[in-house]
Amino acid sequence: MTAPVAALGQGVARSIAWLGALARFFVLTLGSWRWLPRAGRRVALRVLLRQVWFTALQAVPLIIVLSSILSFLVISQAVRELGRLGATELIGRLMVVAIVRELGPLLTALVVAGRSGTAIAAELATNKVMGEMNALEGMGIDPLHYHVLPRFGAALLSLLGLIIFFDLVAIFAGLLAAAASGMTSARYFDIVLASLTFRDVWLTVVKGLVFGTIVGMIPSFQGLAIRGSPTEVPIASSQAVVASIVAIFICSGLFVVLLS
Amino acid sequence: MTPAPLKFENISLPGIAVGGATLEVPEHRAVLVVGPEASGVDALPGYALALHRPTTGRVFLFGQDVAKLPRRATLAFRRQVGYLPAGDGLLHNLSLRDNIALPLRFGSDMTEREIDGRIRIMLALLQLVDAADLRPASATDEQRRRAALARALAFDPDLVIMADPFDGLTNRAAAEVLELARGGEIEAGSRRTVFMTGQYVPQQLEPRIEIRYRLAKGELRRQG
Repeated sequence: MTAPVAALGQGVARSIAWLGALARFFVLTLGSWRWLPRAGRRVALRVLLRQVWFTALQAVPLIIVLSSILSFLVISQAVRELGRLGATELIGRLMVVAIVRELGPLLTALVVAGRSGTAIAAELATNKVMGEMNALEGMGIDPLHYHVLPRFGAALLSLLGLIIFFDLVAIFAGLLAAAASGMTSARYFDIVLASLTFRDVWLTVVKGLVFGTIVGMIPSFQGLAIRGSPTEVPIASSQAVVASIVAIFICSGLFVVLLS
Repeated sequence: MTPAPLKFENISLPGIAVGGATLEVPEHRAVLVVGPEASGVDALPGYALALHRPTTGRVFLFGQDVAKLPRRATLAFRRQVGYLPAGDGLLHNLSLRDNIALPLRFGSDMTEREIDGRIRIMLALLQLVDAADLRPASATDEQRRRAALARALAFDPDLVIMADPFDGLTNRAAAEVLELARGGEIEAGSRRTVFMTGQYVPQQLEPRIEIRYRLAKGELRRQG
């Protein structure tokens, strides 16, 4: 009779312990920046740039496809339906609220979590299995400095850049959809730019930073948390991507609740 | 009096029935501890560098209890020691050249040009010139072990700690690894102090290892 309650309690306790360990890892990573050796900064910067290449630049084609299709579908439908009601100026607000502010950051974060989150977790877990972390520690190199800080920095920069890129592509794809429905480009830009506020821009930036932190931290944490068996590598990758996606959705919901 | 470069004091090991392992690694000597896989001798290099903590006992590196140092100081302290981990521990996304350069790039104020010069010397010394641009996965076991040793010697440390250094090597290659780790001879013995652990050592190397311990039947016995 009490077994389900006990199981629920254990699950909650495990989640709280996981959150505590993740928070500690986050604080340790940020704190480790202060004593990264000066010479090590150059090495960490190289790792960061390589990660930006994998995380941001290689994701550009996928972002273009997703953003343009999403925006084209939403705006072409909206122009048609809102046109019937004589409320076509509302497509500006629709574009800004639905795509630029909500779906753009959310979809971009999901793409990066799926592509790079799994890669980060799998790479770090494999490194640990191969004894590379042990070797780095033995050489006096902190894995937080060599592996985690650069990936964290790269995730922040990449998410921020990709979200802005997603939004720009969406706005231009929306223009194509509006033009196909008979709206002039001047009118389209008037409507969209009139709807875009400073609040929308900073909210997008804040979301980029928060989602970047999630995608940089959770997979690194999961990858380094394994004990050293090869069978743990796929488990760490899958847990990393699931936890990242859940965290992204929860934060997205919190943004709506707290800031609307 | 200068403290011994490395000293283990009452370290608990699974292979020791009563008490713990107590041994000293004197300056300018090569010291080897051999024991079966389950005996725990492979854990000694990790304890020496405070990568892991023994259940009981203490380890002194250059007279300092490394386990008591704050993390930042521990990392700096480890850079004074050359470490060859079991299974080489090379980073697989870097070439052998970049693997050897990594500790210099990360932990020294040398310019890239100075590092380049140092790496060329290490590559020539370790006979790795032709394999320098290979990734570890494309290199042979021997090349990987040589690269890992080159990385361990990059700072020209006074103390070298090696775990299973001769595993999978021919006797000739094993002898070369040992001689390179010793760093030549001076009046007091080998130029560097060397501490090694493993399950076996080729018999022909025994004369070149001044102090040998064997862990068997629950006891750690000095042989050399």
